[in-house]
Amino acid sequence: MEPQTFHQIALKINGTVHDLEIDSNWTLNDVLRNRLDLTGTKRACDYGGCGSCTVLMDGVDVYSCSILAVEAQGKEITTIEGIGNSENLHPLQKSFALSYAAQCGWCTPGMILSAKALLDRNPDPTEAEVRLALSGVLCRCTGYTSIVQAVLDAGRVMREAR
Amino acid sequence: MSANFSTVGQSVPPIYGIEKATGTLRFPADINLPNMLWMKILRSPHAHAKIIDVDATAAGKIPGVAAVITHKDVPRVLFGPYQNEIYPLDEEVRFVGDTVAVVAAEDWHIAEEATRALLVKYEVLPAIHDPEAGTEPSAPNAVLNYPESHELKPGDIRPDQLGTFGNVIGLKEGGPTVVNERGNVENGFAQSDVVLERFFRQSEVNAVSHEPRACVAVYENGACTLWCSVQDPYRLQDSTARVLGLPIEAVRVVSTNLGGAFGVKVTGRFAVLCALLARKTGRPVKIWFTREEESLDSHNRSALTHYVKAGAKKDGTLAAIKVRTFLDNGYWPYGGLGQNIAFAICTRPIDLYHCCPNVKWEVFAVRTNRPSTGPYRGRADAESHFPIESMMDELAHAIRMDPIEFRLKNRLHEGDDLCSAPNKIMSTVWLEEAARAGAEKIGWQRRSSLNGADRGSRKKGIGVAMVIHSCGSNPAGVSEAEVIIDSAGRISLFSGTADQGSEQQTTLRQMVAEVLGVSLTDVGGSNADTSTCPFDSGPFSSRTVYATGIAASRAAEEVKKKLLEQASILLSEPATNLDIREKSIWKRSDLSKRVGLDELVRITGSSIIGRGVHNAKEDHLFAYGFAATFAEVEVDVDTGEVKVLRLVSSHDVGRAINPMIVEGQILGGAAQGLGYALSEGFYFDQKTGTALNQWFLDLRTPSILDLPDIEPVMVELGEPTHPFGAKGCSEISYVGVAPAVANAIYNATGARVTELPMTPDVILKALRDAGGA
Repeated sequence: MEPQTFHQIALKINGTVHDLEIDSNWTLNDVLRNRLDLTGTKRACDYGGCGSCTVLMDGVDVYSCSILAVEAQGKEITTIEGIGNSENLHPLQKSFALSYAAQCGWCTPGMILSAKALLDRNPDPTEAEVRLALSGVLCRCTGYTSIVQAVLDAGRVMREAR
Repeated sequence: MSANFSTVGQSVPPIYGIEKATGTLRFPADINLPNMLWMKILRSPHAHAKIIDVDATAAGKIPGVAAVITHKDVPRVLFGPYQNEIYPLDEEVRFVGDTVAVVAAEDWHIAEEATRALLVKYEVLPAIHDPEAGTEPSAPNAVLNYPESHELKPGDIRPDQLGTFGNVIGLKEGGPTVVNERGNVENGFAQSDVVLERFFRQSEVNAVSHEPRACVAVYENGACTLWCSVQDPYRLQDSTARVLGLPIEAVRVVSTNLGGAFGVKVTGRFAVLCALLARKTGRPVKIWFTREEESLDSHNRSALTHYVKAGAKKDGTLAAIKVRTFLDNGYWPYGGLGQNIAFAICTRPIDLYHCCPNVKWEVFAVRTNRPSTGPYRGRADAESHFPIESMMDELAHAIRMDPIEFRLKNRLHEGDDLCSAPNKIMSTVWLEEAARAGAEKIGWQRRSSLNGADRGSRKKGIGVAMVIHSCGSNPAGVSEAEVIIDSAGRISLFSGTADQGSEQQTTLRQMVAEVLGVSLTDVGGSNADTSTCPFDSGPFSSRTVYATGIAASRAAEEVKKKLLEQASILLSEPATNLDIREKSIWKRSDLSKRVGLDELVRITGSSIIGRGVHNAKEDHLFAYGFAATFAEVEVDVDTGEVKVLRLVSSHDVGRAINPMIVEGQILGGAAQGLGYALSEGFYFDQKTGTALNQWFLDLRTPSILDLPDIEPVMVELGEPTHPFGAKGCSEISYVGVAPAVANAIYNATGARVTELPMTPDVILKALRDAGGA
C-alpha cells in the first residue's frame, strides 16, 4: 500500500477562502460535497459524462468530478449555493423553479451553472446557442424543452434588469 | 364535472422547485453525519459462481477499515420485491456485479481498497446468457439455490425440480410462465384475408436515473433509521426489520425525494446491508453507488424476443393474434418482479384490441445470469407494444385501411371486461378522442403526400401507435393518506409516497387545497417517511395522482365534513347549508354568516384529522390511460440515419390537476421513449455476462441536441372513479414512441424495422431486407 499524500490547500469557493488538508486523489467534487457540505453540486457518472457536477471555475463551466482539488487552487469556484438562495433567487433559479424545468432536480444545479456561464458571456443567445451551450449537461426527466425555455426567459429578465 | 375549481386545474409552481433550483433539497446522498463511515460492496466478477471462502484478514488490517460482512455473517432471512426469495448475502452469486461482501471504512477510498483486499475463492459455475437458449433441455440452471422457506401453493413444483424447464419462471412443469388464450387462433388465421408473421428483438435498457442510489443508516438504542433512495420505503422498512430482527416500528425509512427513479429503485438490498454495518459498527454508515453500480445493481427493462403472427379481414376486423415472447428475467430464484411483467405483457395489448376474438400469447420469462428485470417506466407495455403496434400498422397497410381507423375499429370500449385485470370492468376510454386530436395536430392528412416525397436520399414519413397503460388502478396497490388541521390552523397532508421528480406532492396538495377551500401554500406536510406517514404501496404504475390522490381527497373530505359539523353548531345552521371556500365556512344563502377556519379550530381547541384509503381491490370499475403517439421522421436511406422531425404525444389524461406538471411528464416520458427507439441499449458479453456499456455516455440517453421539441396534447374528458377526474400519465408517453417511429420509417421507406434500438445499422439492414436500398 502506498503512503497517502496530503496537501495543504486554499480553495476560494463562493467568495470565501477555505484552508483544507486533503488527500491528493480527492476531486473538487469530493471536497465540495464531503468537506464543505456544499451538496448542491451533484455527481452522477463519475467521469465527466453527464454534467450533474458542473461548477464555475473563473466563470467557465467545468466538471467538478474531473478536476482534482489541488488543481482548483488560485481559482474562483462558484457553486449553485453561490449564485442565489431562496430569499434572493438568481433569475435562472427563479425561472427553473417556477416552470417545472427542474423535475427530479439532480441535473438542475449543473444546468443552471452551465446556463449562467452562457448568459454571462452572451446575454442574448438564440435557442440553438442555448442548446449548444447546455449540451454538456444531460437531463433524464424533462426532454429539455422546459429547460431551454427557462434559460431564454431568464436571459430576457437579466437583460431587462440591466 | 364542475369546472369551478380554484386550485385544481391550475399550473401552480411545483412545491420543491425553489429547493431544487438552489441546490438545497437534500437527497439521501446529500446527508453527511458526524463520525460517518462509508460502505463499499465487493461485486462478483463471475456470472455464476459458488463462494467457497472469503478471507477478510488482510482487508481487516487496513487502517481505517471498521467492519467487513460476508455471507457467513448475515442473518439467513429472506426478502425481495414481491416475495421473500433472497438473503442479504448468499454463497451463490448469479450475475457479474452481484453482491459478494460489504465493507465499512473511514472514507470511500479506504473502503474500496478493502474490498479489493478481500480474498475470495470461487467455484465458477455454468451460466445462462441467452433466454431462449436457457429453455433448452441441455441448458444448465442459472440458479442453484432455491430458498426452502418459500411458500409453495398446492400443485406448484420447486424450480430445481422442474427438469428441462428449470430456467423458465413459473411453478408448473413444461409450460410458459404465463399464457393468455381465448378463441382459436388457427380458426382466426383461416378466416383472415391477410396473415403476417414477424420476429422482433428489443435490447435491454437501463433507466439511467441521474441520482445513483444512496443510503445513510443510523443504528441507535435498538432502532434503525435509513435515509434511502427507494420508491418502496415501507417494503424496505419491512425487509430491514426482519433481517435485523427488530419490531417494524423500530425501523424508520425516509425516501422523501429521489433524483429520478422511473420505477426501478426498489428492493434495497444495499440498504439492508448498510443497516447491518451500522449495527455492527455503532456508527452512521453511508453508501452511494457509482454509475457502474447504478447500472448493474438495478432492475432493467428486459431484453426480449417476440415471434408474432397476426391476421385481419379485408373489412378491418382483427381476426387473430398469436405471440410467443421470451423475456430475460435475470437472476431471481422465484422470478422477482418478472412474473407480473410477463402477465401484463400478454394481457394489456390484448385488452387494447378487445375486439380480437382469437388470441394465444405465451410469455417465457427465463432466469439468466444477468441483472434483474424490473418495472422501468411504461413497464410491460413498452415491452409489448413495439411488436403489436408494428403489426397493426403492417396489417392496416396490407388491407389498404387507414392505420388509425383499423385500430379504432378493433379497440376496447367502456364497460368491456379486462383480461389484464380479472373481474374488473373498463371505465372510461378516451382513446379515439386522443387519436383524433393528435392526428389533427401532426397533420395526418399530409401522410399520403409525404409518402415517397424525397429529397435525394432522405425520405419522409408519418407513423402512429396507440397504447394502453396503467394509470393508477394497480390491483395490488394500497394508498393511505392523512390530512390534519392542527389547533394552530395549520393544514398538513401526510402521504407515504416518495417523490422521484414527478412533483406528486404538489398535485396531491392541490387536491387537498381544493377540497378544503384553501390555497396550495396553506397545505404543508411530509411524504415517504415511515415514522410519520401512513402506508402507500409507492409511486408505481402511474398510481400516485390517481390512487394516492383518491386517498388524499377522501382524507380531506373527512376533515371538511368534521369542519362543517363544528361550524354547523357554531353558526346554528344545518351543515347541508354550509360551504367551504377561501379559508372560511359560509352559509350559502347568507354570506354574512361565516366563520374562518383558523377561528373554528381555535374555538374547537383540538386538531381535526381525516383519513382516506384507496384499495384497488375494492373497485369494480378499472381505469386505464390511453394515448396516441405520432412521429414524423426523415430517413437517410444511404446512411440509415433517422431524424425525428416532430413527435406529437396525445393523451387521455382524464383531467390535468396541474397541466404544467402533466405536460412535463408527457414530454419527459416521450423523450425517454425516443432514447428507447433510437439509441439506448444495455449490452452484455454473451460468453462472460460482463456488461459492455455500463458507463453513462455509453448508455446513449438523448442529449439536448438529439431531441425535437415534443408536442403534448391533453384530452380532458374526465374519469368518474377519481374525485377530480384524473388519470396518471407519467409513463404512458414513453410506450408509443418506438412503434410510432418504426411505423413512420415504414411509411417513409417501406422498410419494416423489427429491432430496438433502431440504430443506423439496423435501419440499413431493414432497408436491404425490403429491397429498397
